[in-house]
Amino acid sequence: MSEENRTSLVESNGFAFLSPEVVASIQDYFPRYPNRRAVVLPALHVIQESLGFVPKGAVLELAQVLGIPASEIEDTLSFYQFFKQDRPLGKYRIWVCRSLSCALCGGENLLEHLREQLGVQPGETTPDGRFTLEAAECLGACECAPAVLINDKLYPRMTQEKLDSLLKELP
Amino acid sequence: MESFEPVLLANIGKADSHTLKVYERNGGYQTLRRVLTQLSPQEVLEEVRISALRGRGGAGFPTGLKWSFLPADHPGPIYFCVNADESEPGTFCNRVLMELDPHQVLEGTIISAYATRATTAYVYLRYEYPLAYQRLSHAIQEAYQAGYLGKNILGTGFNLEMFIHRGAGAYICGEETGLIESIEGKRAWPRTKPPFPAVEGLFRKPTVVNNVETVACVRHIMERGAEWFRSIGVPPDPNDPRDPGSFGPKLFCVSGHVNRPGCFEAPLGIPCRQLIEEYARGVRLGRQVKAVVPGGLSTGVLSADELDTPMDFSGPIKAGCLGLGTGGVIVMDETDPMIDFLHNSCRFFAHESCGQCTPCREGTAWALRIVERIKAGRGRLVDLDLLLEIADNIGIIPGTTICGLADGAAWPIKTAIRKFRGELEDYIKHTNPHGWSATAPILDLAHETNGSRSETTSVGIK
Amino acid sequence: MGIVIVDGKEVEIGPHERLNGIQAAARAGVEIPHYCWHPGLSVVASCRMCLVEVGTRDPKTGQIVMLPKLVPACNTPAKDGTVLATNSEKVARARAMVEEDLLLRHPIDCPICDKAGECRLQDYHFKYGQAERRAEIRPFTSRKRDIGDVILFVDRCVMCTRCVRFVREITGTSELMVVNRGSHEEIDVLPELPLNNKLSGNVVDLCPVGALADKDFLYKQRVWYLRRKPSVCALCATGCSIWIEENQDRIHRIKPRENPFVNQWWICNEGRYGYPFVHHPRRLRGVWQRQNERLLQVNWPTAIGRIADMAQNARRPALCLSPFLTNEEAYLACRWFKNAHSASIVSLGPIPYQGEDEHFPGGFVISAEKCPNRLGVESVAHWFEQPPLPFEELLTQVASGQIDTVIVLGGYIKPWITPEQAATLRGASHLIVADLFPSPLSDKADLILGTTAYAEHEGSYVNRRHRLQWLTRAVRPPMGNRSLGSVFWELNGMNGLYQPKSILAELASSIPYFSAAAGEVPEHGVDLRVNQLATQETSSKQFTA
Repeated sequence: MSEENRTSLVESNGFAFLSPEVVASIQDYFPRYPNRRAVVLPALHVIQESLGFVPKGAVLELAQVLGIPASEIEDTLSFYQFFKQDRPLGKYRIWVCRSLSCALCGGENLLEHLREQLGVQPGETTPDGRFTLEAAECLGACECAPAVLINDKLYPRMTQEKLDSLLKELP
Repeated sequence: MESFEPVLLANIGKADSHTLKVYERNGGYQTLRRVLTQLSPQEVLEEVRISALRGRGGAGFPTGLKWSFLPADHPGPIYFCVNADESEPGTFCNRVLMELDPHQVLEGTIISAYATRATTAYVYLRYEYPLAYQRLSHAIQEAYQAGYLGKNILGTGFNLEMFIHRGAGAYICGEETGLIESIEGKRAWPRTKPPFPAVEGLFRKPTVVNNVETVACVRHIMERGAEWFRSIGVPPDPNDPRDPGSFGPKLFCVSGHVNRPGCFEAPLGIPCRQLIEEYARGVRLGRQVKAVVPGGLSTGVLSADELDTPMDFSGPIKAGCLGLGTGGVIVMDETDPMIDFLHNSCRFFAHESCGQCTPCREGTAWALRIVERIKAGRGRLVDLDLLLEIADNIGIIPGTTICGLADGAAWPIKTAIRKFRGELEDYIKHTNPHGWSATAPILDLAHETNGSRSETTSVGIK
Repeated sequence: MGIVIVDGKEVEIGPHERLNGIQAAARAGVEIPHYCWHPGLSVVASCRMCLVEVGTRDPKTGQIVMLPKLVPACNTPAKDGTVLATNSEKVARARAMVEEDLLLRHPIDCPICDKAGECRLQDYHFKYGQAERRAEIRPFTSRKRDIGDVILFVDRCVMCTRCVRFVREITGTSELMVVNRGSHEEIDVLPELPLNNKLSGNVVDLCPVGALADKDFLYKQRVWYLRRKPSVCALCATGCSIWIEENQDRIHRIKPRENPFVNQWWICNEGRYGYPFVHHPRRLRGVWQRQNERLLQVNWPTAIGRIADMAQNARRPALCLSPFLTNEEAYLACRWFKNAHSASIVSLGPIPYQGEDEHFPGGFVISAEKCPNRLGVESVAHWFEQPPLPFEELLTQVASGQIDTVIVLGGYIKPWITPEQAATLRGASHLIVADLFPSPLSDKADLILGTTAYAEHEGSYVNRRHRLQWLTRAVRPPMGNRSLGSVFWELNGMNGLYQPKSILAELASSIPYFSAAAGEVPEHGVDLRVNQLATQETSSKQFTA
């Protein structure tokens, strides 16, 4: 975000990472649970969807919003290995499944192919910020193996060629 | 037997099957109406108990029995959790239900919550099912609008709030106490039992956790009756007084090297061969079955001559597998090396082990390292015995771990080595011609592989 | 009343006791190895080292039925009829498996690890582990991470989570966390929130291996060279029971000593790390006499003679007792003093305070009162003087000339007297000061006596809750120093070596406040208020299933 936006955030509620909208979204979850700790996971999703990652600063601010120790949030966050902390996710997060059914149908090769094409290891993001490559364990789409999940869309029965053209066509 | 009239998949294939309009047009929510207005929670529980419905999530625990563990006079609140974390490799039937017939899941949940006197239901949905999330959210909205959720449902005084709680990519969140810990905002380390969730569960209150397919069954049991449910499937083994039988229809997910992978509904007890040859139209490219995972990766493998195993809760156990599991059938043919199966499985469980208890945390990591070393051409025959020893000693069956993930990690190792030992030994001898017979501990430091810290890179010799 | 059978041996458990398998077995003299269980923390049953076979004995038929699965003893209630088998082959194999598992990735740092000699991983490997290493994994990483008050050797950790539970349950500060999943798990802190609380040193005690290391003790001493003596902390009125660990009269470490009535298993950092003053180079050593602005060293017989003379020849002498004296020292001093002069008056030295009492969620208290024996010394003083002169009043009476001789028995650890107060006391014709460190007062005193610190003498203290506890001498004082107990033993005309236990007996029989301390003082001390000896009952932090 731009410097001036960040400054005005700091002025409004003292937060440098969590915008008022994000804080409001998180607070929307409060009535669902008897305590605020249960909001940790939904809140982490809200933050990652908004910022593209969950930097340590956001964890400290979330601790204030929820009223629980920051270390306990970081503890939960790191367990899932779903949330990035160093830099934002790419525009497209590409999950290539490599569990048994997809592996039998070539999932490992797809992963290897993308690793070469994009020049990143699973877990990493391309320098242009476009793609984050992830190796997934069973996406639950075994009937259309090998499956690839990109952001919110599942792509069935992928091949190297289909993947290549798909990545080119993505806006 | 493909003529089995689908019950759970009845609406699948109809246009807009995920909408309230289509669901109601096909008789949806009438059972809920009848249950709430004419039956007491206890009566619903009784019907489910008599039906001998067993959980579809993997453990096969009798649902009515689980519900009966709830304390009778608890002031509440009681929580009902729908386990939609579905992460067992080879399993996707919950996904199909949620994407294409979410209202069936909702109706089943609401009836189940009524029976267990729950006032809040959380659907723990894995994050990797975005379409299911959309469809389920929309369905919940529709249900609230139609008065099937919220306060004073259908004017009966029954209140139920339902929320979706999205996961973040951890298989262990499918374990019921791991799921509970995850909802509570902590790392999903399963709890020691006792106390069981029915006594002390979510937020330390009585809680029931049931699988998506299980709650869907509840709706049909209440619609057609326990007797109908028991007319499908396999009655209890007369020689085993503790066998509750395997009743009802089951969704079987067939994938791997078959011509028609997909989700099929069939009575419990259908022979595995029939699922593969009839429903899934046989092995691709005219090949032969080599090994079949019967119920999701954690159940292990059946060999080609065990395909007549009936797919009920006891059948796979008799064939040396962990159990029926989720009914996720993965078919491997003669071109699939068992070493790759072993590697894939060990890698999965090492990645998903929550790390809380020593035997699983260290055992799964060690097993992976051994298999990687074998694949890297430095395996020895004694490694197979070592893997068996690790696998035989971790799990809740011997009592050495807190939850059953370790058993799930062990069974693929056990079954692959015991049923395909010859092939694995040949692989070792072939790839390590000079060292396969060694038995002494490896002391050569030059070739050690120190595992990388990154989970997502595949590990090999660096 | 119930009977638990452990390896065929019967043990009794009380009707209100709630014990787990580990505790019941301990009562039978059987060790069940464990890492993650601790009586002061919640039960997680995650290390799986304590796996045993459990069963029940039918009360009518006496038949024993064992469960087929192993269970963790820490999470198994020991009730009437519970049967535990801790040395079967199944159990032995399970223990060997857990031990082998923990050693898979554990860096073999023993030669450079502080914990060697008191390490459970070592001990259990020796007793329960298997001889040959079968894993080819070579753990070369042995990372050292500064996480705040302590050092973390990341790769040595066995994930028992005792440290994490401690900061969540006992201190409520929650700095420590587990990060990652599976075999990649580590203990860590957020850089902005390092481990920093007043009880943080306890995590080093809790750690069953050498993962957490004390910055103070790191690489200083091999534990098998240390001798330990039971004593009591002198840094505040909580009076934690401690072990003083020394080698060749040098204290290297203070460890908390378990006491269910005082500190349970813990000690605060001030007490744990507060011992260096004992060996401080600036300590007063020997006896010095000031004559014409010059200090001359004298010997003890001379000094004792001077003390006796000054007291007897005074017009009105005052004895000032610090709250750091043991009960025996205070008693002997007062008894001699009141006999030495008819107009003698006993007074009390200043009580050092710092901040407020600090209460921790687990129940631990750090007292604002930074001295170990105010209650004991005051009770003794009240016996001999009704009432003893408060310190401010002492100053006033010296200033006005009413008191002409002052004997100050100090022992203060920190600076305790201002130059102004010292100048006032200097107004007395004769000033004797016994203390640990030079002060504005000792700079003016006629006679300066170097005395002993808590680790250097035997005696008793009474803590804030009226519990009397016994100190055992751990190290010898600096050469030339004598304990005040031995000095006043001699001044009282008693022969032979100073016997503090006999003085406590006299205290118990003469002063009602101390009557409960008659007889041998139990290891956890004695509550003076209830007039009964403390029993060996288990602590308030029982096993809860």
